[in-house]
Amino acid sequence: MSVPHSIALVFRGRALAAVGACWLLVVGIAAIGAPLLAPFDPLEFDPFVRLSDPGWPHLFGTDHFGRDSLSRAIYGARMAILIGSGSVLIALVVGGLTGMLSAYFVRLGHLLMRIVDVLMAFPALLLALVLMTLLERSVLNTIIVIGIVYATTTARIVFGMTLKLKRDVFVDAAICSGAGHASVLFRHILPNLLSPMLVQVSFIFAFAQLQAAALDFLGLGLPPEVPSWGNMLSEERIYVTRAPWLLIFPGALIILSVFSMNLVGDALRDNIDPRFKDDIAGV
Amino acid sequence: MTRPLLEVRELRTHFSIGRSGFMRRKSVLRAVDGVSFSIHEGEVLSLVGESGCGKSTVGRTLTHLETATTGSAVFDGRDILSLSPAEFRPLRRDIQMIFQDPFASLNPRLSIEQKLAEPLFIHRLVRDRSEARERIAATLELVGMDAESMSRFPHEFSGGQRQRIGIARVMILTPRLVIADEPVSALDVSIQAQVLNLLKRLQRDSGVSMLFISHDLGAVRHISDRIAVMYRGTLVETGEKRQIFETPRHAYTRRLLASIPRLEKRIA
Amino acid sequence: MALLDIRNLDLTIARGSELLPVVQGVSLAVEENETLGIVGESGCGKSLTALAVMGLLEGSAARIAGGSIHFQGRNLLALSPEERRRVMGDQMAMIFQEPMTSLNPVYRVGDQIKEAVLQHRSMSGRQAHDRALELLELVRIPDPARRIDSFPHQMSGGQRQRVMIAMALACDPKLLIADEPTTALDVTVQKEVLELVRSLQARTGMSIVLISHDLGVISETCDKVAVMYRGRIVEQASTSTLFSNMSHPYTLGLLGSIPATDHDVEWLDAIPGRVPTLDEAVPGCAFHPRCFAARGSCRTADPDAAAVSPAHIVRCHFPQGSSS
Repeated sequence: MSVPHSIALVFRGRALAAVGACWLLVVGIAAIGAPLLAPFDPLEFDPFVRLSDPGWPHLFGTDHFGRDSLSRAIYGARMAILIGSGSVLIALVVGGLTGMLSAYFVRLGHLLMRIVDVLMAFPALLLALVLMTLLERSVLNTIIVIGIVYATTTARIVFGMTLKLKRDVFVDAAICSGAGHASVLFRHILPNLLSPMLVQVSFIFAFAQLQAAALDFLGLGLPPEVPSWGNMLSEERIYVTRAPWLLIFPGALIILSVFSMNLVGDALRDNIDPRFKDDIAGV
Repeated sequence: MTRPLLEVRELRTHFSIGRSGFMRRKSVLRAVDGVSFSIHEGEVLSLVGESGCGKSTVGRTLTHLETATTGSAVFDGRDILSLSPAEFRPLRRDIQMIFQDPFASLNPRLSIEQKLAEPLFIHRLVRDRSEARERIAATLELVGMDAESMSRFPHEFSGGQRQRIGIARVMILTPRLVIADEPVSALDVSIQAQVLNLLKRLQRDSGVSMLFISHDLGAVRHISDRIAVMYRGTLVETGEKRQIFETPRHAYTRRLLASIPRLEKRIA
Repeated sequence: MALLDIRNLDLTIARGSELLPVVQGVSLAVEENETLGIVGESGCGKSLTALAVMGLLEGSAARIAGGSIHFQGRNLLALSPEERRRVMGDQMAMIFQEPMTSLNPVYRVGDQIKEAVLQHRSMSGRQAHDRALELLELVRIPDPARRIDSFPHQMSGGQRQRVMIAMALACDPKLLIADEPTTALDVTVQKEVLELVRSLQARTGMSIVLISHDLGVISETCDKVAVMYRGRIVEQASTSTLFSNMSHPYTLGLLGSIPATDHDVEWLDAIPGRVPTLDEAVPGCAFHPRCFAARGSCRTADPDAAAVSPAHIVRCHFPQGSSS
């Protein structure tokens, strides 16, 4: 099946999800083209235009350092995408391998899955907070921490799916052909996990945004000078009465993006292999 | 008489059911409980019985998909049950298995060529892709499929065609023993007949030995030389095909034969 | 007047924007106390026909496109859903292939039978319990007083199918439709279940429609047989006529495909090819690509149903047996 055809199939009859996908496209373009699209330098202070109202030339207004809010929001898209993809990558690789190997090698699984169970006993945000306090505030550390938090749920889901696939007759057939462990795991089981994991990706991506924004807001996420939507909220929260737009714009961006990702995730979920529908319930 | 190709002695495969754990008693399911039989070169032995009698477990144990509890299975002079997975791997080429469900036994993500090339490369039977393709084309033809079908994926085929592909995957390795676990019971009646004829012809032409596992007495009569009747984990009767069908000795065999629905009148 | 009279039933399935015919011009009649067998391979439309009679097509992709279904002289297709429900379960009942999934695993079998009884009869809980016990006895479940409190998973496949039959018989239906009732069962259990069904019929005088892919089961159980291929009835006759004078090449092929258990044959007379999928249009007779007797007109014209002898209808240009 061709890629455009599959995309059309996912979004057929789901106008809202299609709108969500379009919005994510806009965010993606903003992230890639940030240096060209942003009218000002997002880090440059301008003491003369502190807390100016939205208007020309500062469409989203300026913050209490006189930085252009729109430019910071555009660069914020970059952070959103970076944190989203980074943590998805870590969650998939770490969590996916843990889950797959645990399901395939039963003894190893007893050990690894108990560790996962312990980690899952903490609420996601609490776990992220604990890990962040142990580490320095940086973009990389934020990505690692959020990635690890979602690696636990990913491991659980992949564990369940691999257990099911392991019992499939085609795996028996491969073993009977003489396939070794590596071949069974990566050639026969892994490709069948990919499409349900794609659904998982969209949910992790969305929740990573919320997680990152929460960490930023609590002053434990990205370094304060980094333009991110979470930092924008955190830095300007004391001006909520004097300059509410400084909170409204980044807040709306977070809500819209997370909502869009969830819509796309739902649309993907409805189109995957029915065998795995029960496994994927969102993070 | 020559030494048999496979000689199974007192095979037992037990499963512990229910997870063993805190405050829980383990109970044991004796799926196969002391089964002995032998298969000679070029012979077809059928294992016939009703669901849950353990006949499939016998096949799965002989291919190391399940672990035997006790017993021996001497294949070509070596006890295959005592081999480690690594030691058994080279023997997999000689002992092949055909599965029941043609929809589940083919990985949906692999093309037919990928599927059939895999065992060839694992067992180093071909040097490169063009050699593999040649051999795949020849084997597909053998099972009555076009060579062009190798570039297609499992979902493009009907159940009968998929089972032919499953048979090709087995025959491409020129095994010495084929274990066929209910190979036709998931197929429609008219397709069953095609696949049974195909299996019989392939077996005759190649002289491969076969363990044919089935609940279908008609299919069993059509394909086998000898028959072993299994009931609750043990063999109640083993004998030549005619003897089993015409002068069954065990009460269970008689009950099984009496249960077959009769066609009102046969057209000659 | 026949108890069940299906005339020219057409069913279609919506595939994208197209409507594909799955059942075409099916006409069947079942008299009182008679057993009709419908035989055919998967996808031939036999189950959909039964679901159409039961008014259970809502759950499937198929819709009725034409024809009529008369039951006791009333056109079922003209009834309101409310009236239809009253007929179902009260006058007719259906049993399915999977005795495991047709029973709710969290309720005791006795309670499930009681519910079936209470849906159509107003009686006290005590009476319903007694009726459930009586039904379990009727379907020959050993020790019914104890088994009435069992859960489905505590019973064997054969016993679960007996429970399903008990539920179907809860209100003494006039017509029982059995869709592959013994396919999931072992032969020894199948024999017992079929014997049970026959003895129940002798006792209650109900009519049965038995759907099966197994000519042996049909031959042992039914008074008359309809053979279906790709949505059409290709041959229909009384069981004795059909098995002594098979006329349609497909019926002959089906019989030749079954390996005998009473004598040895070297090779089976298999039907070549496969059943065309729904969206593959076959010009002429739908069976001609697989037919050993196909000639000129088979490829161009769809044959009409014609009687080769009284009450023996064949849909074939060149019926076998009688002519040659």
